[in-house]
Amino acid sequence: MNRIAKRWGHPRASRFIIGLLLLFGATVLYLALSAYLSTVPLGPQQVVTTINPKMGVHTRLTDEAEEWKIKRSLEMVRTMGAPWIVEYFPWAYYEPEPGHFEWNHPDAVINHANRQGLTVIARLGFVPEWARPANTLPLYLDEEHYADFGRFAAAFAARYRGRVSHIILWNEPNLSQEWGFRPVDPEGYVELLKVVYPMIKQANPDVQVLAGALAPTLAPPGSEWGMDDLVYLQRMYDAGARDFFDSLAIHSYGWSFDADDSPDPTVVNFRRAELVREVMLRNGDEGKQAMITESGWNDHPRWTKGVSPGRRIENTIRAYEMAAEWLWLDAIALWAFRYPWDAKSYQDNFTFVGTDFEPKPIYLEVQTYSRGGRPTK
Amino acid sequence: MSGRIFGRFPAWLRTLLVGWTTPKHRPVALIVSILVLGVIGSWLFSQLLGGDDDQTWEHIQQTGAWRVGMDPSFPPFDLLDSEGNPMGYDVDLARAIAARWGIQVEIVATGFDGLTDALMAGRIDSVISALPHDPRLTADLSYSSSYFEAGVRLAVIESSPISSVADLAGKRLAVEWGSNGDAEARRLQRDEPLIQRHTFSTPQEALGALLNGEADGILVDGVTLRQMQADGAGIVAVGPALESTPYVIAMPLGATMLQEEINAVLADFVATGFLDTLEIRWFSGGFDQ
Repeated sequence: MNRIAKRWGHPRASRFIIGLLLLFGATVLYLALSAYLSTVPLGPQQVVTTINPKMGVHTRLTDEAEEWKIKRSLEMVRTMGAPWIVEYFPWAYYEPEPGHFEWNHPDAVINHANRQGLTVIARLGFVPEWARPANTLPLYLDEEHYADFGRFAAAFAARYRGRVSHIILWNEPNLSQEWGFRPVDPEGYVELLKVVYPMIKQANPDVQVLAGALAPTLAPPGSEWGMDDLVYLQRMYDAGARDFFDSLAIHSYGWSFDADDSPDPTVVNFRRAELVREVMLRNGDEGKQAMITESGWNDHPRWTKGVSPGRRIENTIRAYEMAAEWLWLDAIALWAFRYPWDAKSYQDNFTFVGTDFEPKPIYLEVQTYSRGGRPTK
Repeated sequence: MSGRIFGRFPAWLRTLLVGWTTPKHRPVALIVSILVLGVIGSWLFSQLLGGDDDQTWEHIQQTGAWRVGMDPSFPPFDLLDSEGNPMGYDVDLARAIAARWGIQVEIVATGFDGLTDALMAGRIDSVISALPHDPRLTADLSYSSSYFEAGVRLAVIESSPISSVADLAGKRLAVEWGSNGDAEARRLQRDEPLIQRHTFSTPQEALGALLNGEADGILVDGVTLRQMQADGAGIVAVGPALESTPYVIAMPLGATMLQEEINAVLADFVATGFLDTLEIRWFSGGFDQ
């Protein structure tokens, strides 16, 4: 103490310096404790128990900031009996500057999903500002930046090798709003596949690359809003897409129709997925599998495309049953497991679990089904 | 120099600006400064809070028209008649409020999901469309007090001894399968496993079970309950809503005058029984579409 005072030339100096050291120590302790407490343990390795290994859900963890909520969501997916999840990983979030990757959030999602025994299908998209012209929206990607997207997708595939088995390239490119509010362009989307697919496969030959994920729509020819998904898919094949994807992602909503309703090119219903499959067969792509990466019914009382809550449950379970019978389909993920916050609109009636993690009746009924039980009605 | 410049100013300003330089004037300068700063501070504070500068209310007063956004697809609150004109509980409510103010209502039909965006974009002045209060949007919108509770209620026959969910042990609850009422029943069962949950395909079938004595109570949303009562079912709601869903009127943030005026009228409508009249009118099921 005296030596410090002597060295610093003032009798109070020693107290001041000791005070500073104590403050520094307390700060370090606080930070270390905070870091420890904010880390959510992965827990023991889990296994999904289900009678239907094709069952899946589309989670919405992209904007879920709290790790315990990520873990809780994925635990509930497992206990519902669904081994598959589709999750969105926005490029702009994880590469905010060229070559600078921030993997903390996807690490948390994927690590927890794997620990819960879930297989992750990753949807990639959402363009960072640096990779698009000024005054464009994040779904705008021009050909000049396809390779930038490819580098991100390759980095993602390499990082999560063995942990993410499937990657979907883009979402619903047959809608103008999903194509940066430009006219839709199947040939342009195929060019994207031709650039990005080889880059991903080089980085991780094991990962399965899914194309498509087309919005089911009856948009008439020349519509400014979008293109009929069956027409768009055929144009993808015509443009040479076949060698640039491993599996096809299909969106197959039931709207107000029952799951068993017959497929019809003039109707958007669940079995439209079979018409999409027919396009694959017509183009000699029978060797490829497909996945339904969005589907489901909505039971909002005032939405014109909704059904009653009971019909929603019955159709959901029927869709899982039909998927189990379709040999060409690997998995079906229904939209959406849980939202980070209430939309306060009809969108909330797509979910299986409330934002407070309260299981909705549909969750409990699907859980009963996955365990071999019958609906409680 | 300064004397020449400041000599032309009023005495109070001269005191404020140069009074500090003379000990004699310092107390006066201090008081004047505090007063001036107080006035400026109050003005800034009122600006920050939106103050009384309610442009929405001013616009309504100037034009004599109240632009009300509504999605006319939710009977009996919001619907269209056979000629495409808006009608329903909310339309009557809007007209009654406007009548109090001596102005006209202009109903703007908008999809439900676009209502709040239209409000924030200034396309409409208010939303009246069976709109549930959303705490998450209170940073962007202002809400009136509630005019209808649409949350899940426990309903029983009028002679039932059940007066709340606390009396449900060993009792049979009828619900529409998969509905919010079903969700609440399952939640109640977790706390009281002796509650028996009976599911039906429709709310009407659940009501039938209650009236036939096959169930002791039903859990239904407030709108359905009110429709059942209006149709003559002798049932009453007991206890508060299990999951509150208050319908409110939305308006732009900062529309404080408009909010005050609406709340005052709604309070009066409650006191005079006008809201009850609206319920009887629109939940009787006999209106022409």
